[in-house]
Amino acid sequence: MFVVFFISNVVPTDPARIVAGENATEAQVVALRTEMGLDQPLYVQFGRYIADLATGDLGKSLYTQRAIADDLLHRLPATLELTIAAMIISIGVGVPLGVISAVKRNSWIDQLLRILSVSGLAVASFWLAMELQMYFSTKLGWTPLNGRIGGWGPDEITGFYVIDSLLGGDWASLWDTLHHMLLPAVTLALPAAATLVRFTRAGVLEVINSNYVLYERAMGFPTSLIIWKYVLRNALISTVTQIGLIFGALFAGAVVVEAVFDWPGLGTYAVQSILQSDTKAILGFSIVVGIVFIGVNLLVDIVHTFIDPRTIQ
Amino acid sequence: MTSTKTFGNVDRRSILKMIPAAALGTMAFPAMGMAAGGAGGRYVHANNSAYDTLDPHTVNDVARVASRLNFYDGLYRWVDNPPKMIPWLATSHEVSEDGLTWTFQLRDDVTFHDGTNMTAEDVVYSLERMLELKQGAGSLFIPMIDPGQTKAVDKYVVAFTLKEPSAIFGSLVPSILVVNSKLVKANEVNGDHGQAFLIDNVAGTGSFTLSRYDPARGFVGKRYVEHFAGWGDNYLDEIEFRTVLETNTRIQGLMSGDYNGLDGYLAPDQVERLRSSGKVQVFEQESMRVFHIAMHNGRAPLDDKNFRMAMVHAFDYDGYINEIMQGTVARNPTILPGNLWGAPDVEGYSFDLEKAKSYLDAYKAEHGDEIRTLKIGTLAGFSETEQVASLMQNALAQLGIKVDIESAPWPVISTMMQSPDTMPDMVPYWKSTYYVDPNNWVGELYGSRYAPTRNISAYHVDYVDERLEKALVITDQDERAKLYEEATRRIYDDAAGIWIYNTKWYGPYTKNVKNVRFCPVGNGQDMRWSYVED
Repeated sequence: MFVVFFISNVVPTDPARIVAGENATEAQVVALRTEMGLDQPLYVQFGRYIADLATGDLGKSLYTQRAIADDLLHRLPATLELTIAAMIISIGVGVPLGVISAVKRNSWIDQLLRILSVSGLAVASFWLAMELQMYFSTKLGWTPLNGRIGGWGPDEITGFYVIDSLLGGDWASLWDTLHHMLLPAVTLALPAAATLVRFTRAGVLEVINSNYVLYERAMGFPTSLIIWKYVLRNALISTVTQIGLIFGALFAGAVVVEAVFDWPGLGTYAVQSILQSDTKAILGFSIVVGIVFIGVNLLVDIVHTFIDPRTIQ
Repeated sequence: MTSTKTFGNVDRRSILKMIPAAALGTMAFPAMGMAAGGAGGRYVHANNSAYDTLDPHTVNDVARVASRLNFYDGLYRWVDNPPKMIPWLATSHEVSEDGLTWTFQLRDDVTFHDGTNMTAEDVVYSLERMLELKQGAGSLFIPMIDPGQTKAVDKYVVAFTLKEPSAIFGSLVPSILVVNSKLVKANEVNGDHGQAFLIDNVAGTGSFTLSRYDPARGFVGKRYVEHFAGWGDNYLDEIEFRTVLETNTRIQGLMSGDYNGLDGYLAPDQVERLRSSGKVQVFEQESMRVFHIAMHNGRAPLDDKNFRMAMVHAFDYDGYINEIMQGTVARNPTILPGNLWGAPDVEGYSFDLEKAKSYLDAYKAEHGDEIRTLKIGTLAGFSETEQVASLMQNALAQLGIKVDIESAPWPVISTMMQSPDTMPDMVPYWKSTYYVDPNNWVGELYGSRYAPTRNISAYHVDYVDERLEKALVITDQDERAKLYEEATRRIYDDAAGIWIYNTKWYGPYTKNVKNVRFCPVGNGQDMRWSYVED
């Protein structure tokens, strides 16, 4: 936070001038600068920021003119929902393909999956997003082009449209939400799935030759049971760690995907804040990403204890 | 009192002639795509920036003009191109002999969206609120009127007493958007002038009422059936303005029919893509948005006229306009839009490196051969500014002058521009239409009274200042036009900037959108005139 605050303030912008508008006179700008405390040294401004932060006050956005905490809270469910959907897709695709790649080691399937996973990591998400839009939305008309839902969404309870649709029994909104979520979630999920394929493959390969697996084979256990129940559980430890890291990366990385798909979440807010040099809003976004990152990794540590109880010791 | 005052390009007599049309409520004017069609319909517009506040008094940018135009009304209103000011909440005005007091007669049949009758008290409250908040269009009024100088003379008459006579006050009147004073006062919190309320709510008399609003997505407005101007046979029942940041998404959305219209300042390849699709109609209008390169006239070597003459001859105007912009803009030889009164008839500088070299030789003869590296600041994300800078860099390299290009977001560049110490040597950017008067361009960009915030060129010439100042206080339009012509011609002769083009507005709409009325002030987003044909 300290680093982001000072880097943001190194950028030669004048927030008072931005607030006052293009037609403001110099006297107006000077008065506003004093009113906003911008005439104080940077360490004083930082001290005030920390003091406000302790009370949950992230300040006011220069551009939206709203409390930044309100802005972020309003947009958080949209980004979390998209990130969770992308995570589900990437796990659902990445883990099984990683297992298949390991079991079929050095076969053409393994080679193909390795090429695809490297490509998945290399592809630029904005390019992929536009290509998916052009093909599936514009050409085939199978998916909506952009947005979170066709209309204005179900009655708001949690801000998560999937949950709100379920709670309200609004099946049309549920379908529309999932339909709109498909392309952005796939775009966001692809690099994550590629990472999971590689980590799962490596984990399975490490475990598959261990003595207990040989013993189970010798006992005549079915291969599928050995792989999906005994091998995968031990192989997943590093994958689960990656899932924690990937979730944080997806959450922060939603910036580009949200902008292309017009997804009204934190990503679009961050893009606008950066373009407007809205430093406090950028700081607020960084803090939220940091909190989510820490929270998810804490959750991963807890999950570790279930997968491998030895980690408690 | 006298009633011979003029403002904008309309005199009072013309305005009075328009009143019967307003009273009839039909307001039939020529517009693009006009055709017979059914009433009602829904229009969806994809906008390139967010509508994160609905407060009409805290923002005055072009990107968020739709919420101001469609939810609120001003005393007068700009329409069409060239812009005409028509009576709106006010039916007429008079100016006192000393030019200080402007008295407006208001309509008595205007209601806010909650049914409350609009009175002079609401106008007083609105202007006082603008002055107090010191943001948005309020900044335009602060230099000319003090708080407490707006009075309700009677229920439907309001008077503004200015600090000094001002010829441009009339053209600023459409920016006084009137809010429901009772409603806003009832929602004031800790003396915030209702800011927390108006950021999410509408308290206007405008053509549409707020139906839904999400700052992350946009807004929906429903037709205000009781609007004082009436509706005629064709209208929109509902408008939706959505935020869609990505240009490609906006274009694909328009072509697929998800949207009915987009913002009209698109790059040439995008305009061509839309046209060639055959799925949309693209209206073309010459706007009043001048693209120019501001030069720092106060810093060597640009403080020397010979050097500046070399600069104005080192830009490839034709190549840029015809090749890069593919002829989608109109050459504009001075800072005043060519389609505005007061613009002098000059040919414009041309790209001539030989001539530039001769001016440079003259400069070197006086100041020596050493020329420092020049810095051009460009706006990140606005490719035209970067293209222009690259063209200049290439041309000046042929003259032996090195140029560094520094690209940064608009807030960074604009902050740098507003101090003579940090202003780059050159900055290419657009001057938009905030009010239709030559002062918006030549006065603000080259008049000393606006330095250094709006006049960023450090250009201070007494001959020019005298004319610009005089044109601010006299009201005879012919005389004002002459003064602006003389001032602009002198600025042109001094090569105080590089003036490139006047923007053309290419409004892309689905083919069923009719009666779009483009005005440079509102960019075609004043939706009360339009409708969607079945």
